[in-house]
Amino acid sequence: MKPSPFDYARPASLDLALATMAEHADSASLIAGGQSLVPLLNLRMAPSELIVDISRLLELREIRDLGDRVFLGAGLTHAMFEDGVAPDPGNGLMRKTAENIAYRAIRCHGTIGGSVAMADPAADWPAVLLALGAVAILRSEGAERRVTMNDLLVGTYETSLHQGEIIVGFEIAKLPPTARTSYIKFNKKVGAFATSLAVAVHGETTRVVIAGAGSRARILRKTSEALATGADAIACIGGDLDEIMSEPDAYLRQLHVTTITRAIGEVLGA
Amino acid sequence: MTRISLHVNGTAVERDVEPRTSLADFLRESCALTATHLGCEHGACGACTVLVDGMIARSCLKFAVMCEGREVVTLEGLADDALSDTIKQAFHESHALQCGFCTPGMLMAARDLLSRNPIPSEDQVRAALAGHICRCTGYSGIVHAIILASRRLIPVE
Amino acid sequence: MSGDAHSSGGWIGASLLRKEDARHLAGKAMFVADVRLPGLQDIAFVRSQIAHGRIVSMAKPAGAESRVFTIADFPSLHVLEAGPELDAFRQSPYPALASDKVRYVGQAMAACVAPTRALAEDLAELVQVDCSELPAVVDAIAAMSPGSARLFESWADNAYITRTISAGDLSRLKDAPIRLRRKFRMNRQATVSLETRGVVAHWDARLEELVVYLSTQGGHVMRLGLARALGLPENQIRVIAPDVGGGFGGKNRLLPEEIAVCAIALKVGHPVRWIEDRREHLLASVHCRDHHYDLIVSADSEGHLLGIEGDVHIDAGAYALWPTGSFMEASMAAGNLPGPYRIKALSVNTFTVATNKAPMGPYRGVARPGACFAIERLVDEVALHMGIEPYELRKRNLVTREEMPYNTVAGLKLDTGDYHDALDTAAAMVDIPAVRRRQAERKPGEPRIGVGFAVYTEQSGHGVVEWSKRKSRVVPGYESANVRMLPDGSVTIHVGVQNHGQGHETTLAQIAAHELSLDPSQIRIRYGDTATTPFGFGSFASRSIVFAGGAVGTTTRRLAEKIRLIGAHFLQADPKDVRIENGHVISQSGSVAFSEIALAANIRQEMLPQGMDPLLDMTGTYEPTESAGVFSYGTHAVVVEVDEATGGVKILDYAVSEDCGTMINPMIVDGQVQGGISQGIGTGLYEEIPFNAEGQPLATTFADYMMPCATEIPTVRIAHSVTPAKVTEYGVKGVGEGGAIAPPAALANAVADAFRDCKASFNETPLTPRRVWDAVQIARAGAAS
Ligand SMILES: Cc1cc2nc3c(=O)[nH]c(=O)nc-3n(C[C@H](O)[C@H](O)[C@H](O)COP(=O)(O)OP(=O)(O)OC[C@H]3O[C@@H](n4cnc5c(N)ncnc54)[C@H](O)[C@@H]3O)c2cc1C
Ligand code: FES
Ligand code: FES
Repeated sequence: MKPSPFDYARPASLDLALATMAEHADSASLIAGGQSLVPLLNLRMAPSELIVDISRLLELREIRDLGDRVFLGAGLTHAMFEDGVAPDPGNGLMRKTAENIAYRAIRCHGTIGGSVAMADPAADWPAVLLALGAVAILRSEGAERRVTMNDLLVGTYETSLHQGEIIVGFEIAKLPPTARTSYIKFNKKVGAFATSLAVAVHGETTRVVIAGAGSRARILRKTSEALATGADAIACIGGDLDEIMSEPDAYLRQLHVTTITRAIGEVLGA
Repeated sequence: MTRISLHVNGTAVERDVEPRTSLADFLRESCALTATHLGCEHGACGACTVLVDGMIARSCLKFAVMCEGREVVTLEGLADDALSDTIKQAFHESHALQCGFCTPGMLMAARDLLSRNPIPSEDQVRAALAGHICRCTGYSGIVHAIILASRRLIPVE
Repeated sequence: MSGDAHSSGGWIGASLLRKEDARHLAGKAMFVADVRLPGLQDIAFVRSQIAHGRIVSMAKPAGAESRVFTIADFPSLHVLEAGPELDAFRQSPYPALASDKVRYVGQAMAACVAPTRALAEDLAELVQVDCSELPAVVDAIAAMSPGSARLFESWADNAYITRTISAGDLSRLKDAPIRLRRKFRMNRQATVSLETRGVVAHWDARLEELVVYLSTQGGHVMRLGLARALGLPENQIRVIAPDVGGGFGGKNRLLPEEIAVCAIALKVGHPVRWIEDRREHLLASVHCRDHHYDLIVSADSEGHLLGIEGDVHIDAGAYALWPTGSFMEASMAAGNLPGPYRIKALSVNTFTVATNKAPMGPYRGVARPGACFAIERLVDEVALHMGIEPYELRKRNLVTREEMPYNTVAGLKLDTGDYHDALDTAAAMVDIPAVRRRQAERKPGEPRIGVGFAVYTEQSGHGVVEWSKRKSRVVPGYESANVRMLPDGSVTIHVGVQNHGQGHETTLAQIAAHELSLDPSQIRIRYGDTATTPFGFGSFASRSIVFAGGAVGTTTRRLAEKIRLIGAHFLQADPKDVRIENGHVISQSGSVAFSEIALAANIRQEMLPQGMDPLLDMTGTYEPTESAGVFSYGTHAVVVEVDEATGGVKILDYAVSEDCGTMINPMIVDGQVQGGISQGIGTGLYEEIPFNAEGQPLATTFADYMMPCATEIPTVRIAHSVTPAKVTEYGVKGVGEGGAIAPPAALANAVADAFRDCKASFNETPLTPRRVWDAVQIARAGAAS
């Protein structure tokens, strides 16, 4: 279980990394924590000719307070959120999420940006960032764009990142202290990817998100609206899931209904 | 081949490696440090756990080239470490190992936990061991050992 | 003469801390992958991507012909006959590398040699394989239908062997007041030793022998297989098993890769190494379990179990592994169906079926986890049907202490113990009334609670009689020990069993210490090298403490007797007036140290009694006075919480009451129990390798194959009782497997108990959340219609 051969580069700055990616557009992969990429490389499931190491770029570790928002660098590790080293605009939601990803040794190296870029349909960060209404800041050589999480996530292991583009970080609005959040993960064993993950944020804006139900994390539109307006949110779950779930699967459907219902229950303080 | 230099167990090491060489294989094959075991090579068993700049890492999920300039510590490097000694003694007394294959990774995880959280609850101990597979012991000896070590390190009156 | 466990020394029964710990804790153990030899190169295998196909061609990459090997490169390799020595058992020739056909995904087809494993894998990717695909046989029951594709053209159907086991009076069953038919399935899994398999082999030109470092449970038997396959005399093969990182049955068979690596070592002139990676392990190492039961249980109106009838299918995979294949699965499954109960009739058709899956081998508990699952679930189903406590039904049917020795209808002789006491103790530990109260007080929406029991027996220490009955190719009827006292009085004991976590270095030293009245620290136990140890069969089937313990005990006792005689001579006392104590021979008037005696025996022959042979060096074999086996037993009781909405099962309490006879080292016994239960919980709730219709395995990494960790496995509460066996040294019985036998049954019974109100059946392992949820839906739908 050893990778195919590849070359390795560790550009000293974000600009140099972008230049390297631009030059080797279709043969290079970025590596951040490596906690998703390396297993794939070891299994020879993601061959790559050049690995570009961005794990040391300080630009990707930046934390900036923007008043009502926070900028969180893509290179911040899960452990930084778990340990409170990185701020948590989600009133504890991000910390709780981080604690529930994989295992400590993986959390010490895996990054929030790597997790989003990987776009595993059951991953934790994409769902949570979607629920928090995060905007991703993407850089390519000479260009920067801002993309909502909803537009960034496309499908199973698929994002709208352009070739050579790097996620620099995320801008996340600070939740008011009164906002309530919930994170309900059901997995087969501790540390495993979710079979079903429901995230709810209920404040000035309200979003209920499900991961594990389709090819990517999604906002439950009608459910969120109902929750926001005080209508019967639970009653809307089924309809939302019908739109999201690609295949009929009674067990999974029921499981998603359960995690979502519980998440809603939590934010309503039940 | 790429030339790398780093510190392994306190000693400066310089070697040529293929970029695809994992830190685990580098330690085992190039540095002859075989306490670091490979049980899965995809991050799920914990047998390969080492410290990189003081943080625990699965050495099967890092390439050696990524560790340029880093401080890597394996179980061999903890021979004179008081915290490890206490944990090892507790492992011995609690029958926390059978075949011993998981043991190096378990000791690393235990040390990491106790250095961050000197008085963990049983649940916290178990959570820290999640993702560390032991096929032999059923974990109870390991959990017991870590709690015992914690009590010895910080006696509660 | 049998040793008296309680006479002196106190070493038997002491929870002595383990001698083997220090090197592991220091990171100084040596596993096969840690062996370093100059010029060592790595091997990677090209493996079949398809489940069933005919090989059309295999092309080696240009320029690398000398580093890539197919079966054509080894015309003189022998294919070993495997499976029981029975004409009715069809042969399934299993070449070291695939020859004409591939029969499962992962079968080794070619081997590539390169300076590193990564380079070897690069080479493996370049080997061009062309196969014409054949229909895959993936369902063991459908495989027996006349229209099924066949794995072996010369066979009349896909069964390795079909047998009916029939005993007792079956005529009463048809009209029995209670007759329930249930189907059970224990799905396929892997053995998952944390250290995977591994081989390092090289030709030692000086000694003219092939040196094979092998991660195995029994080097001597593996050497026999290797010698036959390679066509080398056994005295030119040395098998060394260094530290072995778990085996659990999976390392007790000779697999084709191991033969191929040795054959390559003989060809290339430098050391070669193959370390199985985890994907290879899940794909192509020993697979296990995979039992299907379709049974009818009969009982009278008071719930006395009368008989069991039905079919058992064992999905044995594509080949029988040397030496014994998986034939024992079917006979043991059927033979253990009556369990510890007074069941008087048994009629079971067993089918050991070839499918396009990795070959099946033994795994801790061999067949009994499946059999225990079936019978213990049936007991609960009868209780549910009658509306009585399952505990109560067990009380009505368990063999009593007074009835022992009891011959079960399947011919097993339950020797000693008190099964009722074990059940009562476990029941008290989990407090059934308290569980019933909590169940009654549960509010809607809260998780459900359930309590479940499983009673098991664990045949151990069985020898000639039992293994010959099974027509085993290798009959592990004895073990051996060589005990040596060196001139300074220190002791080295070589044994033929293989420690791979069981603590033999400690327990066997305790036994020798007991016999010699010496501190165990002065006794070293050595094993794992065919060049230095007497022949032995290895560690499996809960046999080591009975056989190797017996061999060490009896041989050391003979040595002690010689020491006593020499000591008496030194002291000028009558031998019957001297005793040994604390490293000395003591008479009324004086004492002499072992070191003086040993010095005389080894290098000062003139000081010995007239006519006595020199040396303190004895080799002995041991078999119990009866070889049908001694039965450890116990009851597992588990309380679970089930989340009805998700199907998730959480263990709240796990209690065991067990009896394995005399315990040499109670700490190690507890470790075996806890570790076995952990594996049983894996079988019961987590571990599974499903296959799709094309025969592709769907769990080939730990991302899909769920291994329980400390967050999933509770600390088990263990109560011991001790009924010494009558036919073994010290009264020991084996304890290695018991823990793994009962958990699937106990867990399923507990989950079923939580859903008693809807009578849902939980008859398939692992009980994944999806299976739990599905079972409840099916029961509710059934009740509604
Ligand atoms: C055993 C195990 C269990 C796990 N369990 C969970 C879990 O429960 N939940 C969960 O969410 N995750 C889980 N993970 C995944 C883990 O969270 C990873 O850390 C994370 O998914 C990837 O982060 P990384 O920094 O390691 O990314 P890498 O592995 O370095 O990269 C992943 C991908 O993202 C790309 N990439 C990385 N950074 C950027 C960037 N800044 N811009 C653009 N592209 C980038 C890479 O090119 C690559 O394609 C688990 C992993 C393991 C090994
Ligand atoms: S070998 Fe690295 S986690 Fe298993
Ligand atoms: S002691 Fe064998 S794997 Fe843990």
